Amino acid sequence: MDASQSMSTSISAMALRTVLGLSVALGLPACGSAPPSPELVSARATYEKASESQAKELVPDQLLSARQALEAAESEFNDDENSTRARTLAYIAQRKALIAMAGAGIMAAKKMYEEADREYRELLETVAKTSRDRLGKTQNELSKEREARADVEKRLSAAMKSLEEIAKVKEDSRGTVITLSGSVLFKTNAASLLPIAEQQLRKVAEALNAYDEDRKIVVAGHTDSRGSSTSNRRLSLARAESVRAFLVNSGVSPDRISASGRGEDEPVADNRSAEGRANNRRVEIIVEGKQASSSPDSAKPASGN
Amino acid sequence: MRTRLTLLGTSLSLVVAACGGASPPTHQLTESNSAIRAAEEVGAENTPKAALHLKMARDHLRNAEALIVEEEYEDAALVLKRAEADADLALALAREAQARGEAEAAMRKVQELKREVQ
Repeated sequence: MDASQSMSTSISAMALRTVLGLSVALGLPACGSAPPSPELVSARATYEKASESQAKELVPDQLLSARQALEAAESEFNDDENSTRARTLAYIAQRKALIAMAGAGIMAAKKMYEEADREYRELLETVAKTSRDRLGKTQNELSKEREARADVEKRLSAAMKSLEEIAKVKEDSRGTVITLSGSVLFKTNAASLLPIAEQQLRKVAEALNAYDEDRKIVVAGHTDSRGSSTSNRRLSLARAESVRAFLVNSGVSPDRISASGRGEDEPVADNRSAEGRANNRRVEIIVEGKQASSSPDSAKPASGN
Repeated sequence: MRTRLTLLGTSLSLVVAACGGASPPTHQLTESNSAIRAAEEVGAENTPKAALHLKMARDHLRNAEALIVEEEYEDAALVLKRAEADADLALALAREAQARGEAEAAMRKVQELKREVQ
């Protein structure tokens, strides 16, 4: 067996197996000479393993270097059988095959790392994009909401303006208070609405519907001090309920509007004069503020009904 | 290590002067030593498989030094080659373990991020 033959044998794993298998099966040393050293046996096996591994694709130069080392070892074995030098070369060849496999492992791990890193960055980008989209949507919704608000304010102020021709409108700690004169709404001692009152209340209903749905409305009836306190309470409540019923009929949601009879307890003027009593006979429609504001110009707090 | 090398170097030059025959493998000694240092530097000590081959390399180096003292220069050179091969392997194995660790950490990060996003 000359050097070139031994090289081609070592290169081809198949041929190597065949040669090894034969020599083992026949119980004969290869080519009738000394059996290969443990180093050479190990070098051949390791190289075979390496050549079947990923090293072929990932680190071809390292695998080639391992092959050349094995060829050198085979050549030395043929020349000088199991000399120290031959065994050393085989030892080195075996290590080189292991190094090629480790090199393939390094490359494979690096690829895995790069793939994971790319996936990580893509995920981050997706997350960032999603939150950007969400933010854009929110801002869009906000500006729509602002527009809707401005629209409501406009309708409200228009409604209030028309209301001010027939009623007193003021803001106090309770909210927006629309005061209607009792003499316009009712006959003396009666709780049913006068026909002329209905026109006015329709305007009030329009104005109320312009407000946010979440603002509560209280219809508070008030009397002057003539008559008994209890009958005044009853009368003021009956009148408030009449007004409430009319407003509900005119489209104000019944859930947000309530009626309250305050009797003679919350006068706004002196009951001793006819003019004062006329001012005290009134219905207040209170649109409650979103939050209780404490404006100092409040006439009287709504207490003890 | 450095002191030992220097001493060895000194004794080698004396030996060369005395015998004038085959020269001690100073070049291979340097090669093997630097291969061992490189393996140590990448932390071969911390990876079991790499540590095993690093130990083999050191053992070969010690044996080679003994052979040099006995003026068995040819055998010493061969043992030093074994030392170099084992040191190189220790380095490759250590780097492989590190690369695997980094890849696994990166994949864990991806999984964690995926869980957060969902």
